[in-house]
Amino acid sequence: MKDPIAEASPRFRARMAGAFQLLEALTAGFGQVIVLDRLVVAGNGAATAANILGHERLFWLGFASSLIGVACHIAWALLLYELLKPVNRGLSLLAAFVILVGCAIQALTSLFYVAPLLVLTGGNSLSAFTAEQLQALGLVLLRLNTYAFDIYLVFFGFWCILIGYLIFRSTFLPRVLGVLLAISGLGWVTYLSPPLANHLWPFIAAASALGEIPLELWLMVMGVNAQRWQEQASAAGDWRSPRPPLIQSPA
Amino acid sequence: MSTAVMMKRIAEASPRPSARITGVVYLLYFLTAVLGGFLMRGIVVDGDAVATANNLVAHQALFRLGLATGFIATACYIVVTALFYELFKPVNRGLSLLAAFFSLVGCAILAFGSLFQLAPFVVLGGSQYLSVFKVEQLRAAALMFLELNTLAVNICLVFFGFYDLLIGYLIFRSTFLPRILGVLMALAGLGWLTFLSPPLANYLSPYNLVLGFLAELLLMLWLLVKGVNVQRWKEQASTA
Repeated sequence: MKDPIAEASPRFRARMAGAFQLLEALTAGFGQVIVLDRLVVAGNGAATAANILGHERLFWLGFASSLIGVACHIAWALLLYELLKPVNRGLSLLAAFVILVGCAIQALTSLFYVAPLLVLTGGNSLSAFTAEQLQALGLVLLRLNTYAFDIYLVFFGFWCILIGYLIFRSTFLPRVLGVLLAISGLGWVTYLSPPLANHLWPFIAAASALGEIPLELWLMVMGVNAQRWQEQASAAGDWRSPRPPLIQSPA
Repeated sequence: MSTAVMMKRIAEASPRPSARITGVVYLLYFLTAVLGGFLMRGIVVDGDAVATANNLVAHQALFRLGLATGFIATACYIVVTALFYELFKPVNRGLSLLAAFFSLVGCAILAFGSLFQLAPFVVLGGSQYLSVFKVEQLRAAALMFLELNTLAVNICLVFFGFYDLLIGYLIFRSTFLPRILGVLMALAGLGWLTFLSPPLANYLSPYNLVLGFLAELLLMLWLLVKGVNVQRWKEQASTA
């Protein structure tokens, strides 16, 4: 029996990529943004601790949701790697490498996401600290979750730029989608300096919405132009496979 | 087809530009990594939480700039990893992929470890909610985070040790790069592997570090200046 993934048509793959992209946005957004916004009171350790302990189930749900987001991200990235391989195999692999490092960091943010529960429910083992100190520690750990997420965003930004370029060079997806994604990637890369990124936040959010939502919809609704994809894939197979990448062979 | 076009095609089909690009990105990695270290030098004072905290607060912008430069260095190293994978695929596809995976895990640990260099700014940030701790406690916590970063770097060096060892072997078995570079890279890898036991690594320091630095520097310069033996690379690629 043949591998169903390898045999899948490029259009089906594109639709799945769009679906996983949407799932990633929903699950990671729910965990990292909605749940934390509801429970964390900035600068107030006691109120935050009370919220987390009062809504422990929601907190765990947020943790699980952000971790599922990482899995969706990996699936999304792998599908795009397969889809964009015919455009430039080497660059597509590089993009996959970049996002795997990013996903590892994204997964580790979850460690700091749950760590506050550890200090808030530590009981006797942490009795050397006062309750106020443990609450403050919980807040510090949640800040670290945000900082780690900022690091992930930098790698996500580099990935968006690479994928945007590959979409732009592809013949089977609209070029404008690639340009928009690359611009949103530039926005995320500004998280190299979190103060700068916070300053630019409205623009980054707008660029991200413009870059990611149309791509998501296009992939899910339209997929890719399957005939053009086959053409580009067979052209790449003839010329590029025995060669190193980043060298444009004449077709 | 004119001769010029034909010459262009032959030039384009050679791995030399690819080796050059690898050399250039490798150089960029070196420059950003050294610059990042340079910007952050002297700020962390071993075992002195007070001096470190004062330095961090006074030179926050510089320290953060160094960190950002470090992230770019890591990104460059991911590019080098992808290019090395392609370069050594004809030698041994499986080992080349294995090497790349080691490097990627190393890069992920390195980038994540930098979180512990940002963490001091959370505890030293002067937020009201932190006033439940004594200033000395917060300063000690800041230093502890920085030491956690050192430990994370030690762990990532082990993965880069395996990476260099494999790259050394692949260079040695390749016919398109000088074997001596392979031997040096393997020795560099052994040097990084001493970080499996940080006391041993400290005992051997700086010899284990100099070796790694020198081998990578030579490989980078060779790729930049000489590239690879195009003829041999093609022979291996066609028989692989």
